[in-house]
Amino acid sequence: MIRKIYLIGNPNVGKSVVFSRLTGVQVISSNYPGTTVEISKGYLRLGEERVEVVDLPGTYLLEPSSEAERVAVSLLKEYPKNEMAVINIIDATNLERNLLLTLQLIEEGYTVIVSLNMCDDAGHRGIKIDTIKLEKLIGVPVISTCAVTGLGIKLLISRITEGASVSRNRLTNEDRWKEIGRIVQEVQNLEHRHHTVREILEDASVRPLTGIFMAAGIIYASFKIVRFIGETIISRITDPIFFNLYQPILEKMTLHWQAKGFWFHLFIGDLIDGKIDFKQSLGVLTTAPYIEFGMVLPYIVAFYFILSLLEDIGYLPRLAILLDNILHRLGLHGYAIIPVLLGFGCNVPGILSTRILESRRERFIASTIISIGVPCVPLQAMIFGLLGHFGGFYVGGVYLVLFSLVIILGLILNRMLKGYSPELLLEIPPYRFPPLAMLGQKLYFRIKGFIIEAVPVVIAGVLLINILIYFKLFDFITAIFAPFLNGLFGLPKESVVALVIGFFRKDVAVGMLMPLSLSAKQLFISATLLAISFPCIATFIVLWRELGLKDLIKSTLIMITISIIVGTALNFLILH
Amino acid sequence: MKKISLVLMKSDFKGKVVDVLGGASLNNKLMSMGLYKGKEITKLSHIGLRGPVVIKVGRTILALGHGMASKILVEIE
Repeated sequence: MIRKIYLIGNPNVGKSVVFSRLTGVQVISSNYPGTTVEISKGYLRLGEERVEVVDLPGTYLLEPSSEAERVAVSLLKEYPKNEMAVINIIDATNLERNLLLTLQLIEEGYTVIVSLNMCDDAGHRGIKIDTIKLEKLIGVPVISTCAVTGLGIKLLISRITEGASVSRNRLTNEDRWKEIGRIVQEVQNLEHRHHTVREILEDASVRPLTGIFMAAGIIYASFKIVRFIGETIISRITDPIFFNLYQPILEKMTLHWQAKGFWFHLFIGDLIDGKIDFKQSLGVLTTAPYIEFGMVLPYIVAFYFILSLLEDIGYLPRLAILLDNILHRLGLHGYAIIPVLLGFGCNVPGILSTRILESRRERFIASTIISIGVPCVPLQAMIFGLLGHFGGFYVGGVYLVLFSLVIILGLILNRMLKGYSPELLLEIPPYRFPPLAMLGQKLYFRIKGFIIEAVPVVIAGVLLINILIYFKLFDFITAIFAPFLNGLFGLPKESVVALVIGFFRKDVAVGMLMPLSLSAKQLFISATLLAISFPCIATFIVLWRELGLKDLIKSTLIMITISIIVGTALNFLILH
Repeated sequence: MKKISLVLMKSDFKGKVVDVLGGASLNNKLMSMGLYKGKEITKLSHIGLRGPVVIKVGRTILALGHGMASKILVEIE
């Protein structure tokens, strides 16, 4: 009786894609080992039964070595073996390496069904695998699948019930490899192929000279494309909608409202020169939607388009190799670039993905660095929107300060924390070109996630702020912090509210600065402070969960100290 | 036949792993990824002076940190 199905396999074999196909539950899948750090669950109909399907993080063996692998293995061992089936997903382009886990699973007595995935890619590379022979040799069902197109998934489902636990002698790893050598010899047929353009590019990106050249080109192009897409969406789509369509409607609807009343204050906010100003009015129906849809969303679309593309092609691990040397000095290794890049989108998935790092020490350093020095897209979009017209100098300045902080903080933490950080050991995936529909789905999934998570918080946040301001409840906090803020950072007392709001959402906080008509220097300092001080509440909760209370307090103290030092230093160093 | 570490080996050459000078956990980890005594490998590149080494083992491309690579001894012709 099967009550539960676990999907298990080496990292980066497409488990999450198979999971989405089996359950219809969309999860993020990319072409690098360690995409899945959280457990996803879904359901599959097997005849009359509704069976739970669990997508586990990738693992090479049942003896775990990273946090994500530990999670996978402990979950697998938690459930009675006779009531579950294991779908072992195998990368057909790398049969030999993948079979080690398969043999171990069979030896341990699990009910195993093998999904020989990526069979289309294997075909392109001239690899032919005799699945019938393989089935005989290992004694469990083997089904060819190509999860990105859905090929073979129906057959896989229909054969789940055929899985049975077969007895096999327990072997040592050495003997397993010998056995695997014999199996692969019999079932795999390699056709000789000439080097393709893809293989030449794969090779070039892991060599020092060509690799650095390619990395510089790709990073530069990514920045340009993100800005181009973001600006195009704003000027062609969102701004026309807001200014030509939404604003006239809004003005007509509120024509008879009393301009100073409570409801007007709440929903429309202040009129600037007798008109609604989306950037300055600060109402629930004016500035709140404009910040999220008119300023942040276009860049969310642009950023995740590029990130998803790089993820799916399989470029990111190559960047990890090139940066390993530098990151090693910060107490991390090259692969920490993955959480950092994800953090540029939103700190929450960034900090979650530090689970791909092996030690607590690394995870502490990476999480702290991300919370302090890696601004998320909403914050970046607002910084561009706010500081942009003072010139690139100020925007670049914020990035320069953050980058220097990451380096200095990393060097210090690496010196001060006990222990040492493990070294890079990473499998570099081949380049893959997923169908555009897959890329579109992932982008849609991420944008939907942003809208569901961010918009309600922003609307509620602006509502709350307006109520507090209307009843003058902020005056108390302002009175306490204003002298401090003014003396150290040179900021006016009105900015207290914005900095406090930064704890809830960064984009709203920057939005609160817009009507204050601050000088370029004041904006520069407050934007930098918003980036490095407390992370937003969502990030804070994830930090707590991932680091534990003690390390969270440590990390928070570091943030407060750095904010005070940097804010004061900037105030006294910059003259105008 | 000469025994040298992966770090000293030249790029684009083949060799056979003869020893991994490390604890059981490193040995197990490498073993699980298909790198073990007697396995043939090709060194692809070496990034910078103290950077990682990239090798090909079977159909897998692996990147290993500098210190780790210096612990892996290979036999070359």
